[in-house]
Amino acid sequence: MSVLEEVLVHLHDVAIGYDVPLIEDINIEVVAGDVIAVLGPSGIGKTTLLRTIAGLVRPLDGDVELAVPSRGGLGYIPQRLGLIGNLTVRDNVEMGTRVGLSRWHLPFFPVPSTQRRHAERAMEDLGILSLADQPVRILSGGQQRRVATAKTVAQRPKLVLADEFLGELDDDNVEIVMKTVRQAIEAQNSAMIMVEHHEELAKQVANRIWRIKDGRLIEELVR
Amino acid sequence: MNRRLSLTIVLVLGLALLTFLNLVGDWGRLSGGMANLGVFFRESLWPPDWSVLEAQSYPVCEARLEFTCSVAWLGMVETIKIAFVATVIGFVVALPLSVMAASNLSPIEIAVPTRILLAGMRSLPSIIWAVLFMIIFDMGTLAGICAMSFYTVGYLGKLQFESMEGIKNAPLEAAKAMGMTRTETAWLVAIPESANHLLSHLLFMFEYNVRHGTVIGLVGAGGIGLYINTYLKLAQYDKVVALLIVVFLVVVVIDFVSMALRSAVTEEGDVDRPAWSSLFLPSAISSAMHPTPMKKGGVDESE
Repeated sequence: MSVLEEVLVHLHDVAIGYDVPLIEDINIEVVAGDVIAVLGPSGIGKTTLLRTIAGLVRPLDGDVELAVPSRGGLGYIPQRLGLIGNLTVRDNVEMGTRVGLSRWHLPFFPVPSTQRRHAERAMEDLGILSLADQPVRILSGGQQRRVATAKTVAQRPKLVLADEFLGELDDDNVEIVMKTVRQAIEAQNSAMIMVEHHEELAKQVANRIWRIKDGRLIEELVR
Repeated sequence: MNRRLSLTIVLVLGLALLTFLNLVGDWGRLSGGMANLGVFFRESLWPPDWSVLEAQSYPVCEARLEFTCSVAWLGMVETIKIAFVATVIGFVVALPLSVMAASNLSPIEIAVPTRILLAGMRSLPSIIWAVLFMIIFDMGTLAGICAMSFYTVGYLGKLQFESMEGIKNAPLEAAKAMGMTRTETAWLVAIPESANHLLSHLLFMFEYNVRHGTVIGLVGAGGIGLYINTYLKLAQYDKVVALLIVVFLVVVVIDFVSMALRSAVTEEGDVDRPAWSSLFLPSAISSAMHPTPMKKGGVDESE
């Protein structure tokens, strides 16, 4: 790692889990430009690792340091996407841009035109602009995954945490989604940690692999 | 069924029966009760006196439809107005309170006192609120609106915070990880996510307030209850029955309107539309008359 690389996440001697540790002795750094895939069988702690980095679960031991703004610096796509089914695609995507505004920009007011343009651009890149005024609840699983991605891309975070967000997407859509995400990562000089079940897919899209095995996180360099 | 469960059910039923017998005490005093009711029904209640639908002699009716000068119309319209205003005020006040009371949206040190406040507002029946507000504002609609609004805040606040606590965790976690403020999370995530329930509770509360308008009117807080109270004092029970039938019909109409409004925001297939008979008949009979069709393949939910 070059000394000039911007470190976004640093986990130092971290143990994660709920009552019992799932993964121990995690010592890792994430730098700007990284796309990291987390691999491992179900129930081994991949989602818990993401949730710990997102600050949703406290680590059992060690320190998690994030060098990203507390507001809007982190984009999180949970396994269940976290979209609001009753709102339109546009409302969901624009929600991502709100965290780029001041805390005092009240949520009752619409987002300014710059943020609206960011949202439109993200929807266009992901091929969902034509669905902008549809409620999310009527969309297919694959379309909803593109909405969740557009929301995060429009947010422009420094670190994206995505939990199996490529599932239910066909090959063409995986390509569209990853191309858009990569462009966003390059433009923002940000990084991404994604949990993925399909090893081949993970190796295609990531430059680093974290494999979880026997309660340890093992790093594998892809390229 | 588990033996221990069967025994518990028998014990509870037995205990309830013993308590009932103990509460009633002397069964002898009930003899002839049904006969008395029959006499009262035949002589005082039935047939209803529909003169309540005719225009009052004073003040002189200048409306094209004389019916609109009748006691039933004037009282019912005033009750609906009171219920409408009180429901809107109650909803506007209850919404932020329910966000504060929801344990998944607010810290426990805010949620618990807010719940206690809501419980306090709910524990006083609206009739007591009406008496309190009549002391402040004198008899009339203002006291009625205030009483109903207070009760609505307590009731609606509880229904709403329970709905908000029932929303899925994923959107809340995404909002928290993104760094959204509590106000943003409540307004942009929790309220839209529970919108169907909130609307359903709001419509239920309006219907409840229309029905309840008759009760708070009894203590002079305006609306049709004021007329019912007057007729009760004059022992004109046939007019009371006529007004109660009017209230019943209005409640049924509101129920139909509320059903139509709710179906507009509920995706077809998510929730079964209730059959018309469910308004009048017990659910077992109604479901036998209108068996639920097989559900269509649902669309993908966000969760």
